[in-house]
Amino acid sequence: MSNKAIKIIAAALAVQLQVSVFNTLQAQGILGGHVTGNVQFDGQLSRRDTVIGSSDVPEKLLSNARADILYTNGNFSAGLRYEAYLSPMLGFNSQYSGQGIANYFVSYKTQTFAVTAGHFYEQFGNGMTLRAYEDRYLGLDNAIRGIDVVYRPWNGVTLKGLIGQQRYYWDTRGLVRGVDAEVSLNDIVNSWTEAKTRLTLGGSFVSKYEGDETILSDISGYKLNLPQNVGAGSLRMDLAHGGFGLQAEYARKGQDPSIMNNYIYKTGEALWISASYSQKGLSANIQAKRVDNMGFKSVRSVSGEMLYINYTPSITKQHTYAFLSMYPYATQSTGEMGLQADFMYKFKKETLLGGKYGTDIHINGSLVTGLDTTVIGGKGTDGYTSTFFGTGDTYYGDLSLEVAKKLSSKVKLTGTYGYMVFNPIVEGHEGDLHHNHILVADLTWKINRKNVLRFEAEWMGSDSKYDANVDDKRAGDWIMGLVEYNFTSAWFVSVSDQYAYKDGIGNYYNISVGYTKNATRLQLGYGKQREGIICIGGVCRQVPASNGLTFSLTTSF
Amino acid sequence: MKKSILTLAITLMASFAMAQNAKLPENVTIKTLDGKTVETSIIQNDGKPIIVSFWATWCKPCNRELNAIKEVYEEWQEETGVKLVAVSIDDARSASKVKPHVDGNGWEYEVYLDQNQDFKRAMNVVNVPHTFLINGKGEIVWQHTAYVDGSEEELFELVKKVANGEEI
Repeated sequence: MSNKAIKIIAAALAVQLQVSVFNTLQAQGILGGHVTGNVQFDGQLSRRDTVIGSSDVPEKLLSNARADILYTNGNFSAGLRYEAYLSPMLGFNSQYSGQGIANYFVSYKTQTFAVTAGHFYEQFGNGMTLRAYEDRYLGLDNAIRGIDVVYRPWNGVTLKGLIGQQRYYWDTRGLVRGVDAEVSLNDIVNSWTEAKTRLTLGGSFVSKYEGDETILSDISGYKLNLPQNVGAGSLRMDLAHGGFGLQAEYARKGQDPSIMNNYIYKTGEALWISASYSQKGLSANIQAKRVDNMGFKSVRSVSGEMLYINYTPSITKQHTYAFLSMYPYATQSTGEMGLQADFMYKFKKETLLGGKYGTDIHINGSLVTGLDTTVIGGKGTDGYTSTFFGTGDTYYGDLSLEVAKKLSSKVKLTGTYGYMVFNPIVEGHEGDLHHNHILVADLTWKINRKNVLRFEAEWMGSDSKYDANVDDKRAGDWIMGLVEYNFTSAWFVSVSDQYAYKDGIGNYYNISVGYTKNATRLQLGYGKQREGIICIGGVCRQVPASNGLTFSLTTSF
Repeated sequence: MKKSILTLAITLMASFAMAQNAKLPENVTIKTLDGKTVETSIIQNDGKPIIVSFWATWCKPCNRELNAIKEVYEEWQEETGVKLVAVSIDDARSASKVKPHVDGNGWEYEVYLDQNQDFKRAMNVVNVPHTFLINGKGEIVWQHTAYVDGSEEELFELVKKVANGEEI
């Protein structure tokens, strides 16, 4: 008998055995539990287009697919995820090419104790020392494969410990160890149980290990003495009193020369503070942060978006209108200062500005700059010094004012004005600052219970001009129109076009049709699309750049 | 090894046909808006229906849905006793804005933070908004992704059926 035949018979027997074991367990009532899951398939038949930056696709069809299967039975759960990138869609790293089981775990959890073996996602505090997370639409997954333990010895006290390696496409790399403690003082101090003020304190320590390698210094060419264990720690607080809230976290990191900071030995630090006040119909929030050399990866020589152990959140608002989100800002973990303010107010019904149905206003502004630094050396030195309050170049700034008003029982209008400053250095190339003005009108007309029309018009005026050397396809002045028709929440059709009418290049037309039933959604699109967040047909999701036919299926069960 | 994991998964899937309605998980960790860590078993409504809605501050359809239900929430509660639980999937970038956002919009829902997205994964939520309807026994009887103006009325028809103990 051939080897292949033996394998097939063995596989068939294995299935048979598992089925019979399963049936026995089922009959004995040991296997109750539930199987749930979700499946996603995205594909694109892509054509070459130099204007939007989609290259030639010899295999014609690009697709990303995945299925999560989750089994839960009381305190026990287990799951696995199959992923297939054949071949990966535009915007996804080609190292994802291939298919297989990308994630599996078993977990046991009670009120006081939880243990997970296999792949897990975890976050300490705001993630400044550790955040293992996944964003399926960005092709980002830094799950840790190892052991994660959570223990709650008393109500209000949570202790966490973990050890493992991080996912790197189809491989795992590095070695990460971490502990975290969080105490809710109101739960452990008897007299505070009913207090109106709530205070939660926390702290974490994370360490990575990586063996030695040869990296030569710039000047004399001697081999750098690399630290093999690098630690990072943080302290945090969360204070709430009625409508007031104050949250802060401070993190430090030891010497961590890496490709990200050009192998300098300066220690890292980060501070984040958020203060807010809110009451019904009114809210205000201010956030500030300072990040200095805080990129923390499990492998020192890998650049790019994978293998980050920590996460330093961007302080700018997540915009979802096309032109407002055209220049998204990502934290510069090598160093930045940021400030954001957010204000919301509802003018009540039957007032002068509120009118019959009330009026909502929302103002948001943010400013991010580099640090004020003095260079002292290259590879193998401390690199630079920085002053705590000093600021450097402007990286990004925006201001937006949104007014939402119901004009009648059937028509709702949202108008937005935005101003934005963007420094191309953030994306790695020198150039003048871009200054953009943006206007958006978003009108929803509920014709009757089943038929809804939505119109969106956007304009962006910019002082940037398209330059073939830089090849920034977002430069110039743009207009956009979108019409979306919904028949209940089941069907939608949307047609849109973005056109650079001055100093730019490109014409992004798109038509999309979608069908949703319960938790199953099927969408077809044709046209040219930029990557970014798109909210059509009642759902928001990140989409990759495409040119041609795209289709997407998601279902949960 | 990988093959046998796969066959086991297929076997488990085969059992899906026999499975009853999945229940709302009880032991997933989430946080309240004032920073307290709780388990999802806290989501209770004395045998009356519960709507669990996954949303984010930046998600426009989610905000339209929660604002539309706000207008009729009192009537819904009087008629059926339903409770809406809004689970924010905002991450560290915007999680500290969730409470101001909820208050600023005047929402009277029970709101939780799912920053590490453990609850989102346990419920197999892919995109937001994603809304679940839970019956008095804690079973998930209906779910839907996407919101279009007016679809809250379809949801309320289902809530009424569940409140009356009817099958969906």
